[in-house]
Amino acid sequence: MSVATTNDTMPAPAASPSAKKARRTPAPQSSFAPWKDPNATPIVRFENVTKRFGSFVAVNNISLDIYEREFFALLGPSGCGKTTLLRMLAGFEKPTEGRIIVNGKDVTDLMPYERDAVNMMFQSYALFPHMSVERNIGFGLRQEGMPAADIDARVDEAMGMLELKQFAKRKPHQLSGGQQQRVALARAIAKKPRIMLLDEPLGALDKRLRQTAQFELMHIQESTGTTFIIVTHDQEEAMTVSSRIAVMDHGELVQVSTPGEIYETPQSQYVASFIGDVNILECRVSNVLPDGQLELNWVDGTGKFVAQPPPSGATKDQQVWLALRPEKVRIGLDRPATDVNAIPGKVENIGYLGSISHYHVAVGNDESVTALRANASLAVDNTINWENDVWLDWPADAGVVLIR
Amino acid sequence: MKGRMTWFNVTSVALGFAFLYIPILLLVIYSFNDSKLVTVWGGWSTRWYAGLLNNEELMKAAWVTLRVAVVSSTIATVLGLLAAIVLTRMNRFPGRTLFSGMVFAPLVMPEVITGLSLLLLFVAVGFDRGFWTLTLAHTTLTMCFAAVVIQARLYDFDKSVEEAAMDLGASPLKSFMQVTLPIIAPSVISAWLLAFTLSLDDFVIASFTTGPGATTLPMKIYSQVRLGVTPEINAISTLMIGVVALGVIVAALSQKRAMVRQQAETRAVDAGAK
Repeated sequence: MSVATTNDTMPAPAASPSAKKARRTPAPQSSFAPWKDPNATPIVRFENVTKRFGSFVAVNNISLDIYEREFFALLGPSGCGKTTLLRMLAGFEKPTEGRIIVNGKDVTDLMPYERDAVNMMFQSYALFPHMSVERNIGFGLRQEGMPAADIDARVDEAMGMLELKQFAKRKPHQLSGGQQQRVALARAIAKKPRIMLLDEPLGALDKRLRQTAQFELMHIQESTGTTFIIVTHDQEEAMTVSSRIAVMDHGELVQVSTPGEIYETPQSQYVASFIGDVNILECRVSNVLPDGQLELNWVDGTGKFVAQPPPSGATKDQQVWLALRPEKVRIGLDRPATDVNAIPGKVENIGYLGSISHYHVAVGNDESVTALRANASLAVDNTINWENDVWLDWPADAGVVLIR
Repeated sequence: MKGRMTWFNVTSVALGFAFLYIPILLLVIYSFNDSKLVTVWGGWSTRWYAGLLNNEELMKAAWVTLRVAVVSSTIATVLGLLAAIVLTRMNRFPGRTLFSGMVFAPLVMPEVITGLSLLLLFVAVGFDRGFWTLTLAHTTLTMCFAAVVIQARLYDFDKSVEEAAMDLGASPLKSFMQVTLPIIAPSVISAWLLAFTLSLDDFVIASFTTGPGATTLPMKIYSQVRLGVTPEINAISTLMIGVVALGVIVAALSQKRAMVRQQAETRAVDAGAK
């Protein structure tokens, strides 16, 4: 599982090379999908990039294409290599092996200050403490030797975009965390890079501020048409802001897909459980039906399931895992009409969250399945309680068969 | 209980400070003595200070001392800064431990030995002893102090600030001059002041490494005292105490100001994180 493919099994849409018209929307069926277009040239290309620190392999043979105007998220737990990958793109680390190509140019051996197309926003913000907000934002432009009047105009534009004008003369230590974060963003955006790198840009903000900042990031990304590459360990953040997500683990790409595909069709147990809640049932393929669907036998209990096969297919007697999102599992007191995709259980725990309730149901041999139910009506006649015997069932297209 | 003012504590503190400062205080007071005899009080006067200006030999020694101190502390600060950067930034290079040990060895080396070894070197290479040999000797003595002071600041320096400068298009030299140096400036200034005061009051190394025509003030005072203490000596010593005290106070204040500012920044960031 060294290199995840970017869904090249999917058919390319009729016409989408007009990336200029395309607008980024998080919906899985977005018209903006240059990664599906075989003729599109990526703006960033990692070619078999490996980075070793001594004997530790931080990034292991990663190949990845990122396209213009994407909001691309590198997602994974700490130590998975996502920050190293970003720092190699910025030029702070040199790959041990492989090449990095930006905008058609090999930048592998270029120093950070020689990479004009790329600017980075740091996790610690890295503001210059001895400079005022406007001096901070203008720093990069002064390095270019831009005329003073042009610098002032660009700084003004960046400060306007991020609502920083009233803080122009302040020093960074006179600002709140949220304001510092905006200064750091403005300083990088003022350079008008083709590619903007963001290393956990909202990690230090509280939850409410973070949501506002997420939408601000999306707005700036759309209005400037810059390619954004963000490193985050927050799966909700990645789902919210990005056009595509690369899930990383131990220096490798596990899956690269849109947020919708990552959630609905994860390719491994790791991805399924990293993004959102999931029930995983270990099964064995008992039969491959004529229409291609798989018949599964549950290992930890008695139950017969039918599900769509994984893209790579599956054979009889193969060990597989059925991943079921809680909101796709129906819970009821009555036995469903069919025995397929239905298992009995006993309610162990109920988490009432107002709009929805989580039901933790004990099933099979000491297993547990979570089902989600919207509290849409006030009807009390079919209220499910603790210790109730219940039935769980789901449609054949609800589960995803995972082979690893 | 902690911090209680018992009679024992107060007495021991008072005795300690008395032991440290009464001799100095006595010297300062007697520098304002009107009498020609050092041990006899003859009323207040500033005539010995005025007399200093006419004492050419003393003034010449003071001028030499000042020049040596300024030149040697400047060279020492630059070298110490470079050493501190290498020691904090280049984490793994062969012989790093040896190098850092060698930079800091002069801190604990007896001055007599430093002075003697330098004298032997100067004689061996045929340097005429005088202003420059003395300046070089003081540079070697004070460089390690400067390196220690600057290194302490560089250790908790956020390296991503420098990376940000480079990311924004500044070359390593530019990012050092425009970002790193302004931020660590207080520690560089206090390193310079420390080197300056060390050079100013050094006697041992100076007496080994200087030559005719470049007698420093401490040497001059010592040689004059051997012929008998004059009130003029008290006056010049008082001035030296003043200059050294000023240097130390300014160094401490600039360090403290930088620390307070850093804490304010940290607080602001923390407040933002909450």
